[in-house]
Amino acid sequence: MKLNSFAKLSGVALLSALVLAGCGSKSSSTGTKKQTLNWMVPSSISTMDTSKMTDLYSSQVANATNEGLLRMGNSKVTPGVAKSYKISNGGKTWTFNLRHSKWNDGKPVTAEDFVFAWQRTVSPKTASQYAYIFGNVKNATQISAGKMSPSKLGVKADGNYKLVVTLNKPQSFFKYMVAQGYYFPQEKSIVQKYGSNYATNATKNGYNGPFILKGWNGTNDTFKLVKNPKYWDAKKVKLSTVNFQTIKDPSTALNSYQSNKLDFTTLNGTQVKQYKNNKDYHDYLEASSFYLEMNEKKDPMFKNKNIRRALSLAIDKKQFVDKVLADGSIAPKGYVPAKMSSHNGKDFADQAYVKDAVEYNLAQAKKYWAKGLKETGKKSVSLTLLSDDTDGAKKNTEFVQSQLTKLPGLKITNQNVPFKTRLSRSQNGQFDLVITAWIADYPDPSNFLDLFTSTNSQNNGKWKNAQYDALIKKSESTDANNETARWNDMVQAEKILMNDQGIVPLYQQAQSTLMQSKVKGVQFFPTSPQWAWDKASIK
Amino acid sequence: MAKYLAKRIFYIILTLFIVTTATFFLMKFMPGTPLTNQAKLTPGQIHQIYKQYGLDKPLWQQYLVYLGGVVHGNFGTSFQFSNQPVSYLIGSRMGPSLTIGGEAMVVGVLAGLVVGAIGAIKANTWVDTTATIISILGVSIPSFVLAVLLQYYLGLKLRWFPIADWGGFMYTVLPTLALAASPLAETARFMRTQMVDVLSSDYIELAKAKGMGKVGIIYHHALRNSLIPVVTIVGPLAVGIMTGSMVVENIFSIPGIGEQFVKSVLTNDYPTIMGLTIVYCAMLCVVLLITDIVYGIIDPRIRINK
Repeated sequence: MKLNSFAKLSGVALLSALVLAGCGSKSSSTGTKKQTLNWMVPSSISTMDTSKMTDLYSSQVANATNEGLLRMGNSKVTPGVAKSYKISNGGKTWTFNLRHSKWNDGKPVTAEDFVFAWQRTVSPKTASQYAYIFGNVKNATQISAGKMSPSKLGVKADGNYKLVVTLNKPQSFFKYMVAQGYYFPQEKSIVQKYGSNYATNATKNGYNGPFILKGWNGTNDTFKLVKNPKYWDAKKVKLSTVNFQTIKDPSTALNSYQSNKLDFTTLNGTQVKQYKNNKDYHDYLEASSFYLEMNEKKDPMFKNKNIRRALSLAIDKKQFVDKVLADGSIAPKGYVPAKMSSHNGKDFADQAYVKDAVEYNLAQAKKYWAKGLKETGKKSVSLTLLSDDTDGAKKNTEFVQSQLTKLPGLKITNQNVPFKTRLSRSQNGQFDLVITAWIADYPDPSNFLDLFTSTNSQNNGKWKNAQYDALIKKSESTDANNETARWNDMVQAEKILMNDQGIVPLYQQAQSTLMQSKVKGVQFFPTSPQWAWDKASIK
Repeated sequence: MAKYLAKRIFYIILTLFIVTTATFFLMKFMPGTPLTNQAKLTPGQIHQIYKQYGLDKPLWQQYLVYLGGVVHGNFGTSFQFSNQPVSYLIGSRMGPSLTIGGEAMVVGVLAGLVVGAIGAIKANTWVDTTATIISILGVSIPSFVLAVLLQYYLGLKLRWFPIADWGGFMYTVLPTLALAASPLAETARFMRTQMVDVLSSDYIELAKAKGMGKVGIIYHHALRNSLIPVVTIVGPLAVGIMTGSMVVENIFSIPGIGEQFVKSVLTNDYPTIMGLTIVYCAMLCVVLLITDIVYGIIDPRIRINK
């Protein structure tokens, strides 16, 4: 090595750093109303194969580039590939009439594309993690367990434009499910052409939705949606491009938003405190429920209702959401989240509200506690509180701990473990108290209420109530085709769950965002896919 | 030399084998499964999925199957990025990581050498003090703090550089600077200490006595002799950059591989964990090998004859 050249090199390196520092270009933004939206996602998308996707952001993109029988709208579904549908055979047969629509390569979208896609998802060969969502379609469970051929699935094409679905039992919310990504059609010729490489990048896929995905190589973080001229309702789509940037760091996202590189960003708790009064700030309630489960199997004292009630009343949920979370989340009215589903204009959470079970009342809590201790013959109790080990989860457990220890003689030890450990411990019953979250797959109260039937594997605390089980069963059988009766069953069930304090609701999570005021018409849904851009525009 | 190289490469392969084996079994002891929706699937469905990925076989069989694949260059497919071959995932995301890592290494070490040398030559003057302050700051400010500061002031306030994203040289400047600070500081400290030592040694005195100019002395005698210990720290510096890049990539939204490593561990994405372990381990081994070869080039006394 010649040291002369070496010295020169180092000089050049330093100089170039200085020179470069000076030559940054000031990008001037032209003020035209280009129909381009710059969107941010906090996580890379993992696949565009609707049989394989499990993450929210992949579903968001799929919902923009593809379309199922029906389409998610604001707390209702609107026609999609199906112009109309008819329910018969006591709610067990759904017949969809498809419109003459096209894939982006010009081929027609036919009933066979649905049959093919659904069979593919439930087939064990595909190893889909969403196979369970087909559970109510005839034979799906046997097929996904490898005991029956996929061709036996309860879905048939009657000609090119009629699809007949057979269900095991009536399911009024099936209409929401067919609007979700996992029930989308797949272009058979494309899937067969690419085999295991299908939908692993933007070009190896067929699109029948409002937009076409471009520039996604399967693992990269920037890509875009461009308007699909072949989409049947293309004239209503105003945006020409949606640019996506994956930004995992919240402060980077905020900086990018402030420099106008993004028209939208999500905020974390600390950022919300700063931006709550900004004109661009909006928060949206997600269909999620965070609650405390009490392990009745491990600690028989939790079989005592006074003990359970005491724990609920001792936690000030209002303070929790306002001071600790402070991100737009709200104190719950019960277990099923607010603003997710309504019947005759009435929100489920309002109808099933049991004030005495959720509202903070320390004096009352202490009374119940003393009574419960007496009944169970205990003087002091030492419990563990299980939760995740993220910063947020730790703060939450500390708060719950501080609230509960106000009950005389109660000692709480926090156990903050990684997500997967928490999950396996909850399922194996290795906990006293655990903070659990449930996020809906589709906007129907049953998606939440099913969890607390006595045999459900998600019922970690093993709370049991025969009346509750009976009501849920009734809502799925005799009342399944009667919207009002079914609704009332579910409201009753939730009231029982709350009155008996099967769980302690903690909060409902919100998504806090900044969105430039020039952006209009972006839709938010409390459940997946959360965001849709087909009606959005730049004003 | 060829014999030495062959021996070293054999050791690298042996190291890789041991690391692969240890990682494979440790990884399988982690709690959880690669399934995201595990909670909602029936046991029958879970079993079918396991069967599809070969996860239902005994551990030793899974290990042999994996090893067999690796020998044939097949690292399996990722769980996180469904159906995406791990080799493609690493290949497509490695470029940006190598770019900023390499740039940071070159800029950091070269600038560090200059700062250190100047400090030594002007020892105990204000120039030296400034150089020392630079190296103390560089060592004590973590790369992610520096990254956030650079992003805020040079990116958002002054708009000299893009805040984040990837797409050309300008995008690499801030992450490179953030990552280069620590190697710069380390190199500068080593260089200064070593050079002060060398400058007071007899042969330098002799060169001075012969009437050699100051510049000539430093170029021809001092610099080269000071470099040997500096080369020693290049290996550890490379490791520092690899780990530092995981956070810095995140802050600047660089589509690199660092963050995927962390995420693959958190999501039990077994094939990706294994693939990245092998790649990172191989990179480190190669850096160490290069370091050893560079020794010989700088100092003929250490040149390998075996």
